[in-house]
Amino acid sequence: MFTVMFYFIFGTQEIPSTQWTIYDFALPGLIIYAAGALTVSSAIYFANEKSKGMLERLDTMPIGRKNTFLGFIIAESLFGVISIAVMFLIGYVFMQLYFVNLAALFLGLLVAILFGIQSVGIGIILAAFARTPESANGIAMVYYIPVIFASGSIVPFDSPIVYVLPPFWAKQVYLQLTVLGDSLTDMMVSGSSYPAQVIGIPLWGGLLVVIGLTVVLLALGILFFQKKTTF
Amino acid sequence: MSSVNDVIIVKDLTKHFGQINAVDGIDFEVRIGEIFSLLGPNGAGKSTTIRMLTTVLTADGGNATVSGHNTATMEGKCAIRRIIGVCPQDITIYDDLTAEENTVFVAKMYDMNSEEAKEKASVLLERLGLAARKDKTKNFSGGMKRRLNLAMALVHEPQIAFLDEPTAGLDPQASRTVWDIIRSLKDLGMTVVLTTHDMDEADAVSDHVAIIDEGKIIAYGTPSELKEQFGSGNVIEIGFFDQDRLDSAIEKIEKLDVATKVTAFGERKLLVTFSGGMKTFFRILSESIESVDDIENMSFRQNSLEDVFLHLTGRRLRSN
Repeated sequence: MFTVMFYFIFGTQEIPSTQWTIYDFALPGLIIYAAGALTVSSAIYFANEKSKGMLERLDTMPIGRKNTFLGFIIAESLFGVISIAVMFLIGYVFMQLYFVNLAALFLGLLVAILFGIQSVGIGIILAAFARTPESANGIAMVYYIPVIFASGSIVPFDSPIVYVLPPFWAKQVYLQLTVLGDSLTDMMVSGSSYPAQVIGIPLWGGLLVVIGLTVVLLALGILFFQKKTTF
Repeated sequence: MSSVNDVIIVKDLTKHFGQINAVDGIDFEVRIGEIFSLLGPNGAGKSTTIRMLTTVLTADGGNATVSGHNTATMEGKCAIRRIIGVCPQDITIYDDLTAEENTVFVAKMYDMNSEEAKEKASVLLERLGLAARKDKTKNFSGGMKRRLNLAMALVHEPQIAFLDEPTAGLDPQASRTVWDIIRSLKDLGMTVVLTTHDMDEADAVSDHVAIIDEGKIIAYGTPSELKEQFGSGNVIEIGFFDQDRLDSAIEKIEKLDVATKVTAFGERKLLVTFSGGMKTFFRILSESIESVDDIENMSFRQNSLEDVFLHLTGRRLRSN
């Protein structure tokens, strides 16, 4: 919905003296915004499984917490992957927004999916501290909305705070690889619009940050949730 | 004293939540193929005990084995999970799935293939009167959801079924249907561990009952043994307007030497258990009550597990 709505607002506005429209730059941010929403849905989902007692019921079955988590994460991530794929399809196939080449587009998709899984990890962390799905929703929204804006994903935000916010790294790596056509060894930039200040690490470093955050946040999520639900 | 016929052995089992002793050093055994009930009021420690036996909670002290497997070790927990079926007190079903899908989902957790899982689910849902419903469970009534909750605990035909308040919130007719199902599990060779605060339920289905209160087991035996222990037969419950009249009645009844047990409880209430018939009933009344004006209310009934609990604790099960 966002993809279509923003297209009609920004789709035809060109950036002077460049080959791009504003929407070429906005779509990566919107996709990261949508992938980040998995924080909210997974927080609600996990809190619901916890408060409804389904998690405890599964604990009495011979499947183990490891498999329970894997099942939950796959289910949530799959939902996210489908949403992201649909946005890519609408943006890059039907609306024919700019991308460098298919390989770059695939990398962008991969980064967005990684960020989606990372968001599930954050959702699990938040669900660990929530007693009910309603409180999980509240906690997740309090986290997600400020973070997504402060990271400069939706609108440019030139502030050092962006570096500590996970959506920044995902959006910037995706934008530079897929739209700007930078190689993995090119330098990252700090803002959410081009041109912006150079950070001083290459894009592969940014990609590593995205992968690292995904692994760490998922692990922390499982650790916290396990700790809070084991007596 | 445990024997080779005991499938569950609990010794000095303890669980604390902060300052609260939820389970306070309990001991009991459950024999193979019997229906065993933990009877007690809400908050007595029944569910905590079940949760320890079903490996969800780890005990703070003591020891429990289920079919020879220790509930405290990871190895034991894994082995126990393969042979038990748990029907939790809360209804834990997926509302967006059908009854069959919910049941098959659980069956597959026990390594059943789709065909076998569907077959088992179909037979069980038929027995529980849910086979005709093919819609999502969010449209089910409370009673139907509870029956499905039970089906999900039994679909893999466990050796031991743990049923935590399986009739909570059901109307009497639906409760009796569930009692029949519980009794039929015994016929299938299953051991059933049941928690309940309904003494009629415990009386109707149990081979052995452990009465639990404030984390401790305060009585253990067959329903008949427990009732006999505190006087089999009949019970008179009398409410007095005046404490002095109550005290005087207690004194007189004890002198009569016909009552098995005399207990004062609540606000000026007296419970008298006796084995004789109507003749004894009238004798107790005529010899102990000076005037009918002293009596606020009175009831006469057969002795039940409720009365056993009342004699033991001075409180009613129901009022908890």
